[in-house]
Amino acid sequence: MYKLIFYLTAVIAIGAAGAILIVRHPVHAALYLIASLLALALLFFLLGAPLVAALQVILYAGAIMVLFLFVMMVMDLRPASNERLALPKGWRVPTLLVAALAVELAVVVFQAPLSGDEIWVSVGPKAVGQSLFGTYLIAVEVAAILLLAALVAVLYLSRRSRP
Amino acid sequence: MSLSEELQSRFQAQATSLPKDAVETYHIPKDQLTPALRFLKHESDPAYDMLFDLSAVDEAARGDGLTVFYHLLSFSANRVLRLYVSLPAVQPIIPTACEIWPVANWYERELYDMFGVDIVGHPNLRRILMPDYWEGHPLRKDHPNRATEMEPYRLPDERYRRILESVQADDDTESGAGEGEMILNIGPNHPGTHGILRLIVQLEGEEIQDVRPDIGFHHRGAEKMAERQTYHTYIPYTDRIDYLAGAQNELPYVLAVEHLAGITAPPRAQVTRVMLCELFRIASHLVWIASFGHDVGAMAPPFFAFRERERLFDVVELITGGRMHPAFFRIGGVALDLPDGWREAVNNFIKRMPKAVEEYESLLTRNPIFRARTRGIGTLTTEQAIEWGVSGPNLRACGLPWDLRKIKPYSGYDEYDFDVPTAHEGDALARTEVRLAEIRQSLRIVEQAMARMPKGPILAKEARYALPRKDRALQDIETLIHHFIAVGWGMTFPPGESLFITEAPKGMNGYFVVSDGTPHPYRLRIRTPSFPHVQCVPIIARGHMLSDLIVILGSLDYVLADLDR
Amino acid sequence: MSFGHWFLTLGGMVLMLGGLLVTVAFMVYAERRVLALFQDRLGPNRAGPLGLLQPLADALKLLTKESFAPPFVDRMVYELAPVIVPLTVLMSFAVVPLSDAWWLADLNVALLYVLALSSLGVYGIILGGWSSNSKYPLLGGLRAAAQMISYELPMGLALVGVVMLAGSFSLVDIVNAQDVPFIVLQPVGFLVFMVCGVAEVNRLPFDLPEAENELASGYNTEYGGMRFALFYLGEYMGVLLIASLVTVLFLGGWRGPWLPDVVWFALKTFSVVFLFYWLRTSVPRLRYDQLMDFGWKIMLPAALVNIVITAVVGIAWM
Repeated sequence: MYKLIFYLTAVIAIGAAGAILIVRHPVHAALYLIASLLALALLFFLLGAPLVAALQVILYAGAIMVLFLFVMMVMDLRPASNERLALPKGWRVPTLLVAALAVELAVVVFQAPLSGDEIWVSVGPKAVGQSLFGTYLIAVEVAAILLLAALVAVLYLSRRSRP
Repeated sequence: MSLSEELQSRFQAQATSLPKDAVETYHIPKDQLTPALRFLKHESDPAYDMLFDLSAVDEAARGDGLTVFYHLLSFSANRVLRLYVSLPAVQPIIPTACEIWPVANWYERELYDMFGVDIVGHPNLRRILMPDYWEGHPLRKDHPNRATEMEPYRLPDERYRRILESVQADDDTESGAGEGEMILNIGPNHPGTHGILRLIVQLEGEEIQDVRPDIGFHHRGAEKMAERQTYHTYIPYTDRIDYLAGAQNELPYVLAVEHLAGITAPPRAQVTRVMLCELFRIASHLVWIASFGHDVGAMAPPFFAFRERERLFDVVELITGGRMHPAFFRIGGVALDLPDGWREAVNNFIKRMPKAVEEYESLLTRNPIFRARTRGIGTLTTEQAIEWGVSGPNLRACGLPWDLRKIKPYSGYDEYDFDVPTAHEGDALARTEVRLAEIRQSLRIVEQAMARMPKGPILAKEARYALPRKDRALQDIETLIHHFIAVGWGMTFPPGESLFITEAPKGMNGYFVVSDGTPHPYRLRIRTPSFPHVQCVPIIARGHMLSDLIVILGSLDYVLADLDR
Repeated sequence: MSFGHWFLTLGGMVLMLGGLLVTVAFMVYAERRVLALFQDRLGPNRAGPLGLLQPLADALKLLTKESFAPPFVDRMVYELAPVIVPLTVLMSFAVVPLSDAWWLADLNVALLYVLALSSLGVYGIILGGWSSNSKYPLLGGLRAAAQMISYELPMGLALVGVVMLAGSFSLVDIVNAQDVPFIVLQPVGFLVFMVCGVAEVNRLPFDLPEAENELASGYNTEYGGMRFALFYLGEYMGVLLIASLVTVLFLGGWRGPWLPDVVWFALKTFSVVFLFYWLRTSVPRLRYDQLMDFGWKIMLPAALVNIVITAVVGIAWM
C-alpha cells in the first residue's frame, strides 16, 4: 500500500515538474509547481518526516508560491503568443552537468540496498527541534543572521527614493 | 466708487431695473466678461467668492439670441449678483470662466450641451448630461418638448456599435496608462456609486491617480419639462429632483414663484412648511447615514436608519398623504390643513429620534474602525470648497458656518432657535459629525414649529395666484370659475425673473424662474448642490486608495437625480 | 489495518461530510435570522416553519442554476478554484476531535496540518480572482493574497504558546492538557488567533477580497450558480472550522461538567460562530493598508511577545 502511494506520488511530483517546462502560461506553470511541491510534501510524510512535510506545505506551497502568484498577478504576465519555446544559447554545459548528476543518481538508486520498510523511522517534531537547537544550533543561528541581513538589504533596496 | 458705478464705468455694464427677487443685475458686453468676472472675484468690494450658477435662457420665443447668466455669491457681504451676457442665436461664443472659478468647468459643459454655446478656452468641451451622439441642444426653444414632436428615434446597428466603442474605458495597454497603472471602470452600475454614475479611475496598485466622472445617466430634462408645465403642475416634478428630500425641493421653487407674484404664504402655511422641510432634512440625512455606513462596510446602519425613516414617512403620510414625494406645497401656501392627530404623530417621532441618533453615533462616529476609515479622507479646505462651489454640510464641515437658514433667513427661520453645527477638519468624519448634529438641530426646529403652530388660513388670499380650495369651489360659482380656469389653463404670473436659494439637506439649492407672463415658466433653472459636489471628487480623491474613493463619494452626499436633473 | 477499521473511517468520513453540509446550510440560515434580530427585522421566515426550509430552497436554487462560465475566463483554473476552498476546509476537519472518542485522525502534527491546509485554501480565492480575467476579481484576488500572507504568520505564531503548554501538536493531546482552558493562560494568543481567524475566512471587518461596495463582489464577481455556492460553502465551513479550532485550542474542547462531550463541543463552537455573526453586524470594513498595518505591526508583535512570555513563565514555573 505504501509503495503504491509512494510511486503514485513520485510520478505526480516528476510529472508536474516536467509540465512546468511545457506549459506556456506562467500562472499555469506556477500551479504545476505547487502540485509538485505538494507531492513532495506527501513523500516527506511517507518517509517519516511529518514535520518537514507540514512545513513544506506551509512555507513553500502556502506562502512562497502565494507570493509568486501575487507578483504574477500584479505584473499581469501573459504568454507572448507567437514566441516559440527555444533553448537558450548557453545550454550545452548545464545539460552536461545535469546529465552527469542524473547518472550519479541512477547509480546511487540502483546500488543502494533500499527497501521501503527498513529505513522507516518516524522523526517527530520534538526530535527535529532538539537537533535544530542542540546539535545544529550554530548553523541555525548563522542561517538566521544571513536571512536577517538579506531582509535588511531588501528593505534598503526597495525603499522609495528619497525626496 | 460703489460697485455698481465701477462695473458701469470699467466694464460698460448696464444695471437693469431691480428684478422681482431684488438681486443686483447687470448686462455686460461679451468682451468685458472675463475681466469683469476676475474683478468681481478678486478686487471688488464685496468680493464675490463663489460662482453659484451659470446657464442661459434661449430668447427665441420672446426676442432674439441667447442670454447667458452668471449668479455670483459673496460670502462676506451675503449677497448675490447676476450678470447677463447676450449672445447671438447662431454660433454663440463666450469666453470660459474656468480659469477664474474651476467649478465653471461642468457648468460650461452643460451650457454647451444644452444651448450649443461654444466656450472659448474651455479645457474639455464635451457634452455632459446628454450622450455624445445626441443631436441638437435640448434647452433651445426649437428643440421639441415632447417625443411626439420628434422623428421616431432610430439607431442602426452600425451606429450603435460605433457608439458602444466610443464609450469604452481605455484599456490598460493604451497610452496614458503608465507602468503598473490600471484603468478601472466603476459604474454606471456599481454598488458603490448609489445609482447610475460612471467613474473611470486610473489606479496604480490601489492608489488613485485620477478619476474621470461621467454623468448624465439620470438626466430627465427636468428644466425642459418645466417649460411645458403650468406653474402649479410643476410642483410634483420638483419633489423628484433630490428625491430623498421631497418637500425640500418644493420650497425654493414655490418661494421663487411667490416672489415673482409678490405674495407671501400665511403664517400657518409657513410654519407647516418649515416643519415638513426639517422632517425631510432628517429623512435625507437618514438615507445618507444608511448609505454612507454601508459604503464603509458597516452592515447595521442601513437598517437602523431606514427603520427611523419609515416612521418619519408615516408622519409625513399622515400630514400630506404622500411619503417620499408629497407635492404638498402650493404657490401661496400648502395643499391641506394639518390633520387630526398630527401633533401626537410628530411628537412620537421626535421623542424617539434622539435615541436613534445616539445609536448611529455609537455605530459610526464612535467606532474606531469607522474613524480610521474616515479621518483625513477626502479633505477639503474652506478655500477649495468655495472655489469648487461646495455648500451645505460639506462646507460647514470645513469650518464655515454658512447656513442660509441663519444667514439669509426665509420662511421665518429667524424665529427659531437652533445652532449651525460645524467641524474643522473638512474630511469625511467631519461631514459625518456635522450631519448627525444637524439631525438634532432639525428636531429642535420641528419641536418649536409644533409648539408655535399658529391658527389661520393655509393659502394666501391672492386668488389670482393661489389655487382656490376645491371644497369651496363646489360651493360658489365665483370660486368654481377661478378653479376651472386656474387648473385647466394655468395661472399667469407677472413677467420677470426670480432666484431663490434655500438650504437644502445637501447644500444650497437654487431655483431661478424666468416668466414671460404666460401660464408656463419661460425658463426654469435648477441649481442643485450635488452637481458641484460630484465635480470636485477627482480633486479630493487623488492619492487616496480605491476604498477611500467610495468613502469620499459617500461622504459628499449626492443623489443622482439631483446631479443630473 | 483491518477491514473494520477501514469501514469505520470511511463511514466517519461520509458522516462528517453530510453532517458538515447540513450544519453549514443551517449556519447560513441561523446567520440570516441572527443578523435580522440584530437589525430589527425578520429575516427568512417563509419557507417552512420559521423559515427552516430556507437552506433547502437556497440549495435547490443554486443547484438548478445554469453553470455559466464567461467566455473570457481561463477555463481550467476557473473551474478548479471554487473546489479548492471547501476541499481544504473539509480535509482539516479530519483532525478536529468532537469528543474523547470522536475524531477521524489523530495526527501527531495535526495543528501544523490544519495550518498547512488553511494556507492552501487561499489559492481558491486567488486563482478564482485571477482566472476570471476581469479587473474587480483580480483586485479581490490580490487583496486575498496579501491578506493571507500577513495573517497566517501571526496565526501560526499565536498557537506556539498553546503548543508549548500542551507539549504536543496533536489536537486530542491539546484538549487533554487543558485542565484549565487555555483562554485563561493564553489570552493574547486567543485574541490574536481569533482576529487572524476572522481574517483567514474573509469575514467583516476583514472581508476585503469581497468588499462589495468597492469591488462589486471581489474575487467571485464572475462566478454564478453552484461554483459561486462552493465559494460560499467554503467560507461558512471556514467559519465553522475556525470556531471549532478556537474551541479545541482555547476553550477546552469537549471538556465540561454534566453534559455529554459532544454537546459541550457544539455549545462552545456555536458560541464562537455567534461571535462571528455579531462581529459582522457591528463593524465597518478596514482599508487595505490599515489591514496590513494591523497584521504586521500589532498582530505579529503581539504573537511574538506572547511566545516570549509563555516561554519565560513556563521556565520559571518548572
